[in-house]
This record gives sequence, structure tokens and C-alpha cells, in this order.
Amino acid sequence: MRSRNQRPKGESVTEQEIQDKGYAHPDALVSTQWVADNLDDTENFRLVESDEDVLLYDIGHVPNAVKIDWVEDLNDPLMRDYLDPEHFANLMAEKGISPDTTVIFYGDRNNWWATYALWVFRLFGHDNVKVMDGGRVKWEAEGREMTQDVPSFPRAEYPVPERDDSEIRAFREDVEKHLDASGPLVDVRSPGEYKGELLHMPDYPQEGALRGGHIPGAANVPWARAVREDGTFKSADELRGIYEGEAGLGGGDDVIAYCRIGERSSHTWFVLSYLLGYGKVRNYDGSWTEWGNLVRAPIER
Amino acid sequence: MLVDHFESPRYKGALESADVVAPGGSPECGGSVTIYLKGDGNGGVESLTWTGQGDIISMGSTSIVVDRILNQNLSMDEILAEDYEELIDSIGRDIIRNRTRHATLGLSTIKAAVRQYRKSGRPRSGP
Repeated sequence: MRSRNQRPKGESVTEQEIQDKGYAHPDALVSTQWVADNLDDTENFRLVESDEDVLLYDIGHVPNAVKIDWVEDLNDPLMRDYLDPEHFANLMAEKGISPDTTVIFYGDRNNWWATYALWVFRLFGHDNVKVMDGGRVKWEAEGREMTQDVPSFPRAEYPVPERDDSEIRAFREDVEKHLDASGPLVDVRSPGEYKGELLHMPDYPQEGALRGGHIPGAANVPWARAVREDGTFKSADELRGIYEGEAGLGGGDDVIAYCRIGERSSHTWFVLSYLLGYGKVRNYDGSWTEWGNLVRAPIER
Repeated sequence: MLVDHFESPRYKGALESADVVAPGGSPECGGSVTIYLKGDGNGGVESLTWTGQGDIISMGSTSIVVDRILNQNLSMDEILAEDYEELIDSIGRDIIRNRTRHATLGLSTIKAAVRQYRKSGRPRSGP
């Protein structure tokens, strides 16, 4: 039992820096120092690395981190959807994650795919989730230990969960209703994609869309505007300046975010939900690969 | 091999004298390459270089493919006949797994460059 005067392990000036950024839910982030101090507590915490560059983990990762590949592990192998509850429970058990385990995600590209994996965990009601601020890049830049050892944890008990997409996931028909109600949308792709100037190359038709542009009324806030040079998230004031001052969003809004396949927009979903505390944010993972190929879907440029 | 080519890419850099400059992939998401091709006027390749940004698989594979084409002196016909599945097998299917699109980005864009070269009316073979 900890006395009132004892700080939790790792609560140092770096956690204070996170507190000072003024987030609605500052406990959604942990610092690299905190992770370093709690590496050995594999009973209560599980570090999960999720990267766009899938081989990075194999080259070196944070000690005791497991790899979850969004493409391989979290997707349905046949249909465009995420895995079913039985497979999710099995994946958790294999990684030694129980429903009480706090999962800490980190990865490359400003924690982009880390937030995508976190979002999928939330579909299954696994709410004990955090992100290591600064991700892989910050850990490496600080010269912290990396290993190629793949940890193995005892198989955990994970009851098959209920899956409820409705809170944080928007489907095409949700977007259509949202449009009818003039609900706020945020397109987090690059300005070139947003304006329809950048279509994907002809050799990769499955990557692109037949039409370029954006969903009418969507504001454009490229996803990486939410982070600093070192990969850490900007402060709440800075984020409000961008999402509210520039893009006109508000905390009481029902916001839908999208990009190309929903990966970048999950990063923005994390920012709006956890850091700015918006009550209702949904990720439209069909995104432009669906909307830009949909017959008669309205488009703006 | 893949990591070696990623860390020490072969033939990387723009080619000023290229006949064709062909982009491939997506710069915003998933990796992109630009292929610089100069034909020898005889159905073959005089120079082939590339630039790009992306993950280990896409960048490493592109370097491997360009290296192979130049070392084996492949003609443009032979480049078009190169098989994607064989490429994936030669790099290692167990390493690439479901990132096949990343692994074939370079080869696919090179083929597009060859087709573009031919469409421009440049000779397939000399007199």
C-alpha cells in the first residue's frame, strides 16, 4: 500500500510535462521515462508496438513490448472489417493481456498506427489503454534500450467480449445522415488529396479512388498537425487553436473524422477524444477508398 | 538482404538525363517511388535509378529489383515479363507476408516506366 507521500513509480517531471499540456484526459499518455521505469511490470502493463513499417519491431523494440500488426492481426482476412470477438479474445490471450491489463501503445510515424490499434481495442471494450507520447522515435532519440528479444508471456484469460462499433465508428450510412444534418466532418489527409489534386497511381488501382476531392463540408486538418517535431502531441491550447480556431470544431460537436482507409483519422480521433475531451467522435474507416469510389456520393473540391 | 538494401540502397538518386520519370504509390500513405529510366535505343536499359520514401519492405525491394535488372542486364521485354510472385518468393514470403503491395511497388512502377517509354515512340530496337 502506497503512502500518501509516495509518488507512483515513474511520476517524474516528465509526467508533469504531460499534465502541463492541459489535456482533458492526461492519463491517456505516458512518457518514455514512465515506460522505462515500468518496463518490468508485465503483470499490470503490456507494451504493444504497432507500426506502419512492419519490420521495425523485428529490427529492435522496447524491451518487453509485443508486436501487434494492424494488417495481420486486427483485420478480418476476407471481408473489409476488423477481426471478430473470438479472434480478438484469442489474440489478447496469446499476448498475455487480460481485461484488466493496461495496454500501452507506441509505434512509428508519430504513433499513427499505434492509435489505430488502440481504436480497434476500444471497439471490443478494452478501455485500459494509453499511448507512449513521442512513440518509437522519441524512445530511440533518447538512446534508450532496444532489443530484438521477443518476450513471451503466459497465456491470459480473456473472455470473448461484446463488440460495439456504434460509439466510435461511422459507416457510410452514418456519414450520409451526418451530411443531411450538416454535422461536422474533418478530413485529415494532405491538402493535395483533399482538393482532389493527388490521386493514386494507375498501377495501384486498389489504393486509389475513381474520384478525387472531399466529402462536402469537411474541414481539412492534416493529421500530423497534432504533433511536434519530436513526435509528442501538442498541448491542448495548441490543438484547440488548430481544430477549433482554424477548423471550427467544438467540444460539444458530434464529429466524424476520415482519411483514406481510416488509419490517419484514428490519430485525430484519439486527439479529439482523449486530449481535447470531445464527447462524441467517430472514425469513418471506409474513408476515401469507399466514398471516392461510391456511385453518386457527393464530392467537393 | 532486405534490410541491407534498405540501409544501403543501390542506384538511389534522380537521373537528369532520364527519358522517363515515373511516379508510383502514394507519398501520403504507404510509400512512394519515382523511377528514372533511360533506354539504350536497342530495347535495353542504359540507366535506371530511383528515389522514394517508405517502409523497409518497399524501399528495400525497390533497391533489390533495380540492382537485379542492371546486374542481369534485362531488356525492357524481360522487365515486363518479371513475375511479382517470384519477386516476393526471392525476397522471402515469410518476411513480406501480407505486405505484398509494398514489395511490388518498385517493380510495378518500373514496368509503368517501360510502358511509358514505349508509348512515347522511342525505338524498341535499333536498325
